[in-house]
Amino acid sequence: MTVDAPVAADTARPPRRNSRRGEPWLDWMTLPALVILAVVIAYPIIRTVLTSFYDYPLFNPEHSFIGVRNYHRLASDTVFWQALRNTVVYTAASVLGAMLIGLTLALVTERLRGPWRVLRGALLTPWAVPVIVVGFLFRFMFDEQGGVVDAVLLRTHTTGTAVPWLTGGYWPMISVVIANIWSQAPFFLMVFTAALGAIPPEVVEAARIDRAGGWTLIRRIKLPYLRDAALVGTLLMVIQNFNNFPLIWTMTGGGPAYGTTTLVVYVYRLAFTSYDLGYSSTVGAVWLVLLLAVAVVFVRVLRRRSA
Amino acid sequence: MTTHNPLRRTLPALAGVLALGLLTTACGGSSDSAGATTTTITFANWADAEPATQAGLRTLISEFERTHPGIKIKSEPISFTDIGQRLLLQVQSGNAPDVAELAGNDTLTTAETQALQPLDELAGSGYKQSIIPAELQLGEVGGKLVAVPWTVGPIGLWYNKKILKDAGLDPSKPPATWDDLLADAEAVHRKNPKIIAFGLDSTNRAFGLDTNWPIIKSFGGQPYQGTTPAADSSGVKSYLDFARQIAKSGYTPANQKAGFFRQPAASDQVAFTVDGPYLKSVVQSTSKVTDQQFSDTWGVVPLPTTDGRPHFSVPTDHQLVLFKSSKHQQAAWEFIQFLSTSPAGIQYTIKSEGSLPPVATLTGDAAKLLDNPIAKSFRDDIVPLVTRPEWGSNYAKAYSPIMSSVQSAMTGSQSIDSITSGLQSDLESALK
Repeated sequence: MTVDAPVAADTARPPRRNSRRGEPWLDWMTLPALVILAVVIAYPIIRTVLTSFYDYPLFNPEHSFIGVRNYHRLASDTVFWQALRNTVVYTAASVLGAMLIGLTLALVTERLRGPWRVLRGALLTPWAVPVIVVGFLFRFMFDEQGGVVDAVLLRTHTTGTAVPWLTGGYWPMISVVIANIWSQAPFFLMVFTAALGAIPPEVVEAARIDRAGGWTLIRRIKLPYLRDAALVGTLLMVIQNFNNFPLIWTMTGGGPAYGTTTLVVYVYRLAFTSYDLGYSSTVGAVWLVLLLAVAVVFVRVLRRRSA
Repeated sequence: MTTHNPLRRTLPALAGVLALGLLTTACGGSSDSAGATTTTITFANWADAEPATQAGLRTLISEFERTHPGIKIKSEPISFTDIGQRLLLQVQSGNAPDVAELAGNDTLTTAETQALQPLDELAGSGYKQSIIPAELQLGEVGGKLVAVPWTVGPIGLWYNKKILKDAGLDPSKPPATWDDLLADAEAVHRKNPKIIAFGLDSTNRAFGLDTNWPIIKSFGGQPYQGTTPAADSSGVKSYLDFARQIAKSGYTPANQKAGFFRQPAASDQVAFTVDGPYLKSVVQSTSKVTDQQFSDTWGVVPLPTTDGRPHFSVPTDHQLVLFKSSKHQQAAWEFIQFLSTSPAGIQYTIKSEGSLPPVATLTGDAAKLLDNPIAKSFRDDIVPLVTRPEWGSNYAKAYSPIMSSVQSAMTGSQSIDSITSGLQSDLESALK
């Protein structure tokens, strides 16, 4: 019978499909986007990894392949390990601090009504201030010679001598973290405010009928609802803080000594002031792997949420 | 009925004009209405990127174009901090300008790319003889002249006479040794702890090390030579001990740029500071004092030293280089020569840059403008002490470990022996 012929032809050339979801393996319409991604993301990454195996000074046109020697150097590079440690401390302290303050502000401002809601908008303004401006602001505020912070501490006799915010001991790291928390807490305020608004009112009402107090309400009802928002926000901010260059560079330049040098600052120094593109690519490649690990966690969390 | 669309005629005409413009730009030359060829010289510099010098430079370029009708200058403003890396990238991508303004380690690092045109032939003996010999040597690499001085700025020790007098010190006897300076700084600090007793750039930058290099040398140290580290030496240890003393005693704030001390200096809040001649113009533009008032308040002498050792200074000169890739070498050289030695160029150097001109003999207005004790002290006493640090690609690798150690000494509690031992191994790794 001729009627069945087209059907037979269709089954003879099945479209390439994802067998699980029944979707085409590749939609050709995505090709332009894939090409752009390949040029702006894949190529630089591959090039960075390749460069990490070369002695590649920017002032010398001849670059020689040196295998894994840069990776050997990395293993014994004390500055790299200090920068890695600083990155972890800076990121963890900043994200934790910003999240706790953002959460507190979200809970405090949750029930603001009418014109009082302007207050929440005002609390969000640090998020709109460019990071480089934040860096300069806090650098002037923490300055030992006439900075407002030391002036207040001395006038109120909180301290007997000026605190070396940007020059002594652990203070420089504490200072950059404080500045960063000020800048990023509004992000968590936004995230938590949105998440609080999504809690079903009947759940809160039911808890109130059961005579749950304010603290119990927060701990037993609200915080569990905020867990997913906290997780996503945290992962996003971890990635952002891993890459936070302008704040540290403007406040301390990574110093004193290497006290506030993070991986991104170290890579910048190696690449653009020492012109050692090979070794800076090595540090960059390791940094990329660390960021990828965080990104994988992020993607998995998102998938679990959407499932 | 046909509709007349004016764009149908205008668009092709516009496209033609645009194409012609692009073509002439690409060729780097054009013909004016009289048919004469115009050569365009690209000039990468930071003077056009800074408010203090921008107007002066543009006037200077206009003056050059007026007196050299066949040459046009296309200024490419790039910030001081970026120009070194930008030029390296431009050289790598085959897109270097004709002429560039460079300073310090950037000149020597750019020279290592082999992209700079030796200037000996273009300059000739006449030009060379017109320049201060010590300044001309600073632009030589491997026996060839690859950069010429535009502005001269050796660093010296500035002192505020009023503050010294208030502290019971004799302003006519500024410190000649570092021990003298420590004693004077102690007196100033005791009298008024709010005053910055000693301003010293200790930032982790190549320029930071430039400032510290002559001081380290005056203690008998040199952190490295060529590719050989020499940080674990008594000279470097003595210097770090000094750095610790000035920071821990509260005489100087650590990790601050030289520029940080200029505004306080303008309001008489700095007793001593290590800086170039341009401090005068910064102070005068801020506090509006006359030359006489400035000289009554400020004096400058060579950087102190330790007993028996010579005094040293370091250049913070702005130099001019010509790239081999330039297709208009002669025109580019005329521009370079104009900037560094013409009366207009000298006026610009003195008035807009606040620096000294590189010419060996001062005449006319320049001689009058520099007829003051500050300029004389710089030209007669400090310029001859100038030594070039170990500039070059190794300097770019070494400055960060060295300045990090200086900051460790100033702000940390680690022993000096331990700091120099760590520095030695960091330099071994960096210079390998």
